[in-house]
This record gives sequence, structure tokens and C-alpha cells, in this order.
Amino acid sequence: MTDNPQTEPQAAEAVIQSKRRFSIVWIVPLVALAIGGWLAFKAISEKGPTITITFSTADGLEAGKTKIKFKDVEIGQVETIALNEDASKVIVTAKMIKGSEPYLTNQTKFWVVRPRISGGSVSGLGTVFSGAYIGIDGSRAGSSAHAFIGLEVPPVVTIDQPGRHFILQADTLGSIDIGAPVYYRQIQVGQVVGYSLDKDGKAVDIQIFIEAPHHTRVTENTRFWNASGFDVSLNAQGLKVETQSMISILSGGIAFDVVKETGQGEEEAKENATFYLYADRSSTQEKKYTVRNYYALLFDESVRGLNIGAPVEIYGIKLGEVVDLKLEFDIETKKFTVPVIVAIEPERISAAHSVAQKEKALKMIEHDPDAFIKVLVEQQNLRAQLQSANLLTGQLMVNLVFVPDAPKASLSSRDGLRVVPTIPGSFERLQEGLSKIIANLEKVKFDQIGGDLQQVLKDASATLKQFGTLAKKLDTETAPKMQATIAELEKTLIELQRSIGKDSPLNYNARNTLEELSQALRSIRELADTLESRPQSIIFGKEKEVHE
Amino acid sequence: MKPCAATARQLGLINCHDCHLLITAAQAKAHPHCPRCGAHLHLRKPNSLARTWALVCAAIILIIPANVLPITVTTTLGAKQADTIMSGVIYFMQTGSWEIASVIFIASVFVPFAKLLILIFLLLSVHFRSVWRPKDRTTLYRLTELVGRWSMVDIYVVTILVALVKLGAVAAIEAGPAAVFFAGVVVITMFAAENFDPRIIWDVIEENV
Repeated sequence: MTDNPQTEPQAAEAVIQSKRRFSIVWIVPLVALAIGGWLAFKAISEKGPTITITFSTADGLEAGKTKIKFKDVEIGQVETIALNEDASKVIVTAKMIKGSEPYLTNQTKFWVVRPRISGGSVSGLGTVFSGAYIGIDGSRAGSSAHAFIGLEVPPVVTIDQPGRHFILQADTLGSIDIGAPVYYRQIQVGQVVGYSLDKDGKAVDIQIFIEAPHHTRVTENTRFWNASGFDVSLNAQGLKVETQSMISILSGGIAFDVVKETGQGEEEAKENATFYLYADRSSTQEKKYTVRNYYALLFDESVRGLNIGAPVEIYGIKLGEVVDLKLEFDIETKKFTVPVIVAIEPERISAAHSVAQKEKALKMIEHDPDAFIKVLVEQQNLRAQLQSANLLTGQLMVNLVFVPDAPKASLSSRDGLRVVPTIPGSFERLQEGLSKIIANLEKVKFDQIGGDLQQVLKDASATLKQFGTLAKKLDTETAPKMQATIAELEKTLIELQRSIGKDSPLNYNARNTLEELSQALRSIRELADTLESRPQSIIFGKEKEVHE
Repeated sequence: MKPCAATARQLGLINCHDCHLLITAAQAKAHPHCPRCGAHLHLRKPNSLARTWALVCAAIILIIPANVLPITVTTTLGAKQADTIMSGVIYFMQTGSWEIASVIFIASVFVPFAKLLILIFLLLSVHFRSVWRPKDRTTLYRLTELVGRWSMVDIYVVTILVALVKLGAVAAIEAGPAAVFFAGVVVITMFAAENFDPRIIWDVIEENV
């Protein structure tokens, strides 16, 4: 091939240097490797734990997009969303950032933050545009975990919030919901964080959280009551409306305070201490009495207006309440009776006099109620009567009264209950009195009275007729005579006028006589004066002028 | 394959890269220069295989973060969303924009990978002194050089989007860390293709003959 003579000599001199030295270009992949290695190292060192969270629905969650935020700081991201084996739950796998491990314990809570409008609060509005995210409430307490069960409702109180949890026991939940406010003197100091039935399902346990620093207000003596909505009560005391705030009207609420009579206890209530949730404020003021004695009262009158729970009072002070009302028919007497069962709380009674007597009395009241009630009924004539507690509503109550003039009664027993004798109620007695009056009125013979009255009227008319004839007589016979008499009397008077007139001799003579009489009287006065000043003159006569 | 004519190397001639003057190799010193334009003279691109290998290796390393890390970070009303190249393609595919998805896929995924694979294939074939279809292999090389720069489209799209979508809290797009790596891949593969001397493919065949 290289047979060209012209180019041969030039080609033969060609020196081709082929050096196999390390090329500087290899720095480029080394740098790339360094960067890549650093990135890989960073990725591995920053790789946090992978966790799974179980939710009932993946509403709003997106694989690779949804974030996990702790106090609104991003600490993880959802990687995958999958159904569990029986497709009943959604399992969300999420990658957490490095350093989140201490907060991933079995007490950590996860929930999906979505826009929520409940009762008195609106939350998660930011997620309307940005999409839902998973909220986490990390807790360092507890053992480390990697699988969690997500909450359907965000927890009301975060774990690290200072304060104290308490448990309230109630008969029913009422209108209380999670997040319902807890008030102390109408200031919100806490929230309801949960509720559940107790073990045997007979009561409701309501978990509440009181924020610091108010949690120290809850002491052993604190009473909680349900402050939900309007509490409209119509009872023997009349109409009562109670409320705490607008929010509690909407979503229910709980209030607490210390009962005055027991005072503020020194002991702060401990975490998760249990309290009883009273139905309303007024019932917290009532002491809880442990001893209750039951008695039967037999009424044979209407008990309309007497409800279970109506007070039993003595001297206007509550001693117990009505617990049962029945209607019974006695086949022997063919009569209905209404046995009313009342519960008397003897602890409400305190004793007078000295300490020793007090103890004796209390012992009798509390430990031997039968003897106590026997004394009252048989010696003091204690009787029960129905009394109107409220004229407006017609509510009745049981009043225990001492009736000195009541017929003697002895304490009897009925179905194992002591029977306190009854007397008709005050209203009943009023009715009785009225009916007595009516019965008496019925005895009056009104027809006879009517007949008599007719006779009287007849007689009266006869008498009136006689009067009429008499009047006629007077008119015809007496009147003309009377006229003549009056005329004569007139004449006589004229004559009399004439005889004793101004210029009449009688008048003149009388005037003269009077003048003389007055002269005589003057003389007598002078004589009297003289006699007074000179009594001797009566014997010696007038003294001469010279002597004077 | 039958060689058609004598090559410059066989004749002891060096072709200047810039002014294409033919110079006798014998006249050349250790570091020859073109007597006409003064350019460095090489019989073949110096150290071509080693350089290409090095750049290909660098590209292979960089292509991993370029595809794994997010290339854009979109903030829409406070919700941040990071997208890798592939997730962007999937997003467009799911929303029905097949055209955009295919353009991005070809420019950003298919081309860089294809280029790297072709280069590796060419390097290996030369390394093992393969005589298999040198013409087709040269076509592949030409294709690589031609299409290589178009991968930068993706980077342009990202830069334009970042500049355009700046609406504060409502919407904002930021370039992710992958953008740098991706640009690196594109540039390095372009250099790699540049450094590869396709004449080596033919040298092997001529030597065999």
C-alpha cells in the first residue's frame, strides 16, 4: 500500500509518540464521584426512621406529597398509601427526618389536619388550599415505636401542654362534646379531651384537661357541674335559667368551683383524680348524704303536683325527698290510697344543747331512727301533709308538721317501712272547711223561709192599707181644723205684737222700771264700796270731809 | 470491510484540526504545531479513549442525583412540592398532556441515557477491537454529537419557569438541586462525545487488514 515513491520518504520519518500517562481528565469523574458520594452520605446520614400509621380513610392524603408536621414544622413525608389486608383500614408509610426518633413512642399521636368546624372553633383553614397534612403530637415518654394508629379527631390538648387531667363521672354525657370548654368563674380554663363509658357501662367517664396555672384551683373539695346550654328548670322553687357562655350553649360545657361550706381544701387534686359531675350548679351546693331512711306516707287525697324528687320539709328546711309514688286499691275498704315513699336524710339534722346531749341526740337520730320517729309521732304528734310549694306551677311538697290537737296515732309498719301518719294538706283543709260551710247551708230550709217571708209581706201590705185610711182621715178631717187653728194663732200673735210693741204702755213701763232698778243697783254698789273701805260707817255713819 | 483508500496516518500525514493543512508527521516534533495556523497537531485526538472514559464515568455518577433529587420545587399557597424529572413526566402524563410529557421524557431522560449508553458501547467496542459494523457505529457517534446539546432544553425550561413564576405566596417555582447535576451531565457528555475520536473505530479495522 505504501508504494507511492513521492510520499514514502516523508512518511518514513514520521514519529508517533504514543504516551500512556495518567490523564488529568480523570479528575472530572473523581470530582463527580466525590460530589455523588457526599450526596449519598448526606442522604444516608439524614435518613430518618420509616413509620406506618393506620387511618380509617386516606381522605386528603397523597403519597409522596402529604407532609407530617409537628408544631407546623415539617418532620416527615408520606411515601406510600396502601390498604391493609382486609381493606378495612389505610396504612400510610411515611419517612421521618433524622432526629425525630425520640418523639416516636407509643404515646405519640397522629391525626390528619383538615378544615374542621365544630362547636365553638374553626381549625385547619390553611389546609383548604394547601391540602391536608398529618399532624403529630410527639411524646418522649413511652417506649419507641414504628407503627401507629392515627386518630380520627385531632387531640384537643397536646402532650407537652402544662396542666392536669381529671376524670369526671357522670350519669349521662348530656350535650358535652370533645373540646367543650371548662369554666372556672366563667373563665375558660380547660377543655374536655375525651369521654368513654366506664367498665360496666353504668356511667360516663369524661376526661378533662385544666391548663396551667389554673389546674391548682382544682382541689379535693372542688365540685364540677354540667354547664351545658340553657339549664331551664321548673321546680318547686320556680323557673330558673342558667348558662355560662354562648359557646357552652352551642357545644356544652363544664364548670367547677369550691363549695362554700367545705371551703378551699389545701390538697391539690392529683393527675387523673376522679370527681363526680353534678347535673347543675345548685346540686353541687347540696351535701351528699350517705344515710337515707325511708318512710311511707299514706294519702287519700290527690297528689297531683307531687313529683319524685319533691322536697320533704320540716319548718321549711329540707329534710329529704319523695322517692316513689304509687296508687293502691284496698279490696276490703274499697278505697284508693296513695302511698308516698320518702327518703329522709338524718344527717341534715344537728343537735342542740351540750356536747354529751348532742352526741346522744345524734346517736338516736342516726343510729336508731325508728325510736326517734316513734317519739316524734306518738309524743309530739308529727304528721305529714301535702302543701303547695308553688302556687304558679301547682307543685306540691311534703311538709312535716306538729299538730298538737291531732288525734293520737301510733307508728305502724307497712312493707317494712315505717308509716308516718298524715293529715290533709292545708289546701285540702281549706277545701274541707268550705265544704262544711256548704253542707251547713244546705241544712237551712229555704222554702219555709220563703213562705214565712211571703206571710210577712202580706201582713205588711194590710198594715200599709190601714196607714192609707189613716192618712185620708187626716187629710179630710184634721187638715181644715188645723188651718182654722193656724189662723187664730196668727191673730193672737198680731195682738201680742201690738201689746208689747215699741210704743206700747207695757214697753214704756218696763223701761222706766229698768232705769229705776239700775239706779237702785248703783246705790247699793256705792254702799258696798263704802262698807268695804270703812266698815265702821255702818255703825258710826259717814265721817266728815275734813277728816279725810 | 474493505478499505477504500490509504488514510493519512498510513501515509504519515497529520491533518491540522483547524485549517485542515496536511503536514508530514516526520517533520513534527514532540509537540508539533501547524506551520500555517499554529494549532496543536495530533495524529489522533490525544488520549481520546481515556478522556472519554473519564468523562463518561463522571456523567454516570452525576446522572444519579440528577434523576433522584428534585429538579423543581413548586410552592403553591404555602404547599411545597418537589418534583424530580421523572415525577414531572408522570404528572404531565396523568394530567393528559402527552405531548409535553413525551418532549420532557425524550429530552431529559431518553437522550442523556442513550448518549451515555452509546458512548459506553463505542468505547467498549474500540477497547475490544471490534470490527462489527464500523459505519453504523460512526452513525451512532454522529447522532450522539448531534442530539447531545438538546438535552439542555430541560434546563432552559426550568430557568424560564423560575424566572416567570414568581408570584410570592400564591405560586413560586425554584430550581432544585438536580438542575445543577443535570446540567453537569449534559455538559460532560457533550465533552465526552467531543473527546471521542471516531477514527479510532476505523484504525482497528485497518490494522486488522
